[in-house]
Amino acid sequence: MSVRLFFATDVHGSEACWRKFINSGKHYEADVLILGGDMTGKAVVPIMDNGGGTYTFHMQDVRHDIDGADALAVQQRAIRDHGYYPVVMTPEERNEYTSDPDKLDELFHAQMRRTVEEWVAWADERLAGGDMRCIVCPGNDDRPDIDELLASSSQIELGEGNVIDLPEGYQLASSGWTNLTPWDTPREEEEPLLKARIEGIVAQATVSPERLVFGLHCPPYDTQLDVAPKIDWESLTVQGQDVAHVGSTAVKEVIEQVQPILSLHGHIHESRAAVRIGRTLAINPGSSYVEGTLSGCIIELDGKKKLKRYRLTMG
Amino acid sequence: MATNAPEQTLFVRKASGLVKGWSSGDGFRYSFFSVNLFLAIWSFAYATFIPGGSLFWSIVITAVFIVLEIIVYAGLISAMPRAGGDYVWMTRIFNSPIGFVLAAVGWWFILWLWTPIYADMGVQTTVKPIFRILGLNGAADWLGTRTGIFVASLVVIAIASTLVAVGMKSYAKFQKWAMWIGLAGVIVCGVLLLVTSGSSFKEKFNAAAEKYYGGDKGMLNLQKYQTDESGLFVYDDAGALVPVEGETYSGAFQATEAIGAGTGMPTSTFAGGFSWATWTLIPFMLFWMAWPNWGATLYGEVRGAKDFRKNIYMMLGGLLVPTAISLAFLGLMTWKVGYQAFMGTMAAFWWGISPIGGDYISPTAMISWIVPNAAFQVILVGAISLLLFGWFGTLFLSSTRMIFASAFDRILPEAAARVTSGGVPVVALVLMTIPSIIMAALYAYTPIDADSGVTVVKLFTYDATLAIIIMFLGSALAFMVMRWRAKAIWDSSSLPKSGIAGIPWMSIIAAVYSAFLVFNLYLFIKDAIYGVNNSKSAIFMAVLYVAALVIWLIAWVTRKRQGMALETVAKEIPVE
Repeated sequence: MSVRLFFATDVHGSEACWRKFINSGKHYEADVLILGGDMTGKAVVPIMDNGGGTYTFHMQDVRHDIDGADALAVQQRAIRDHGYYPVVMTPEERNEYTSDPDKLDELFHAQMRRTVEEWVAWADERLAGGDMRCIVCPGNDDRPDIDELLASSSQIELGEGNVIDLPEGYQLASSGWTNLTPWDTPREEEEPLLKARIEGIVAQATVSPERLVFGLHCPPYDTQLDVAPKIDWESLTVQGQDVAHVGSTAVKEVIEQVQPILSLHGHIHESRAAVRIGRTLAINPGSSYVEGTLSGCIIELDGKKKLKRYRLTMG
Repeated sequence: MATNAPEQTLFVRKASGLVKGWSSGDGFRYSFFSVNLFLAIWSFAYATFIPGGSLFWSIVITAVFIVLEIIVYAGLISAMPRAGGDYVWMTRIFNSPIGFVLAAVGWWFILWLWTPIYADMGVQTTVKPIFRILGLNGAADWLGTRTGIFVASLVVIAIASTLVAVGMKSYAKFQKWAMWIGLAGVIVCGVLLLVTSGSSFKEKFNAAAEKYYGGDKGMLNLQKYQTDESGLFVYDDAGALVPVEGETYSGAFQATEAIGAGTGMPTSTFAGGFSWATWTLIPFMLFWMAWPNWGATLYGEVRGAKDFRKNIYMMLGGLLVPTAISLAFLGLMTWKVGYQAFMGTMAAFWWGISPIGGDYISPTAMISWIVPNAAFQVILVGAISLLLFGWFGTLFLSSTRMIFASAFDRILPEAAARVTSGGVPVVALVLMTIPSIIMAALYAYTPIDADSGVTVVKLFTYDATLAIIIMFLGSALAFMVMRWRAKAIWDSSSLPKSGIAGIPWMSIIAAVYSAFLVFNLYLFIKDAIYGVNNSKSAIFMAVLYVAALVIWLIAWVTRKRQGMALETVAKEIPVE
């Protein structure tokens, strides 16, 4: 029997993309859904409470004035679909968040936790009673405490650090950790440490390479999956037109050593591509979360020793 | 003292946020090169086919409508900033077969035909004039032969492939330098025209024509032709001009001036105003003005492509700068030598009566002749030619992205998206170059059409515009209905949502732009002057569309057998 996987990644707080991900199994007739990391959003949109049931916020430099609770709810949902966290606040609260980084950090933390809790609840309800599997592994932008929220789900299986059995005797080894980035994100480390971490996870696998699937957030170094504009690590600005390979040498080395049948990646949104590394097919479906589109990939494993086919999707 | 904190409208946390490869400046330059100055001046010649129309006003009217095109494409790019452009938008908003067929013909197949067109123009406007200045008349004449055009096409293919192979980053760098050097040459031309009197220009023109084509070279043709009482040329029963025996014009410029008058060109570029004749010039103007969105398949790789206004500025600059330069050039030439004489330089070539050995009277060359120094002339023509050569990469670059996108969607095999370790899209390039070589051979070697005097495939020149306009129409209609057919994408976009009677202004703009394209398609089909309303052209176009449809059907059947529903690739996953 063949096994059909649907893989997506880097939804970054987009509620539309999360819901699409959960619904994608039915849409693509997948047996297993895999989310490859970076669930949480990057920005909070302050919605100013002007009093009298009116509100104001800015989205992509456009000012929006809202009148009434219903309109507010619609706009909050639109902001969440975009991957941002809408927070109603007073001008005084906004000023506090602006001047106090710790308070702003607490706000982000609370928003991320609350959103993941809501997402998990929605997924539990939506996937209940079905036989479709759903595996979610956080990414480098996701704080560690996200794991416990995912682990509390009745339907979602936590990928991070685990080897999970898939149908037909396949196994998935996952990690959301990456090599160092200029942003000092929660799950990143030096290449030797990353290599040891991945090797440690892979060592848990009990199947042969042709039955093993990697779900590693970070793409392998020097492939078409890891090309990004070169960035100055101090100013976090783009360096002219230069591009660079920013993937992990550790990930590349482990893939070359183990040669799993499939290796799924994300992290670099612009590097949507699929490449062969020896006998391994490595895929990064990219991400278009800002527009509410779920970039993904359907992969069909033949149940024996081959990867039957794959297809990048935009849903 | 307390200070007010700045009014934050967005709080951003530290998280990995990578950006895209091209800057807005690169996007502007790509647009600028696509609305190419050489193509502009080349297209001025089409006004000689409709002398009753106003060239100036046709450019202005076309520019106004192309601004609508820019808004439509800026909107599409902003809502869906993806490599693949028109293909992606149409497949997502309509469906897979419509998107693939229109985009495959518009961004892939028809670009094969653009190859010999680029080559022909490069030879006539730049290479031949330089060869004449250098005295390489044998080589210049050979370039005018069928084999010469074919070989020139191969050179264009080599240049275009190289510019794609070096990657977007390197190509953008090349375009940057090419633009500045080319524009420096344009400024030199402008200054030369400003400081040279009309009479001096004519003297220099005649002197250069005599030097490069006259004397023992024997290529100068100053033959005077009979005109009727209104000054128009008289034709014999075979449609040829009737020479005035024993009489010649005093110089090449006077011969050119007489050609302008004899072919019925008016003395003012404003003559014709907003008459129907002026409107019928618009399809010809599209040949150079319709392309500020040529980077549509690439703008998914531009940083900040989701910014609607930035996209507009990028393409608007790409339209307005070359349009302004073209109009300034037209104005300067009209001021110095008169509009009729200037159009005579165009008519001379297209009517096959050029006094300088039948050559195209290259505007850059004739301005360089103001300075009677061969080295200066070659450098000036060469510098400005960078505006042409910087454009050559656009021939294949946009196409490769459409091929990638359809390969990702599994319509084309996986291999079509393959790139080498150095980033060269080798298969996509093969899919462009091999058919381009075949098309170039057909362009050069097919039989001569009796009516037009050009090869049968050269007769299809305007199909190169027609096929792309049809694709643009598909994308414009997709944008028009995006509000309803791709609601989630529309809602999450930064596009202005306001409208009238529930219809967004964006949809209304797309509707007006679509109407403009339909108007042009109507003229293309109705009027023989554009060269496409004939059975040969219809068959050519039909072959292209049927070929695209066959590819899609083969892919659909193949993928279905493999258990993949091709149509679901483009179908949106339900949110709720």
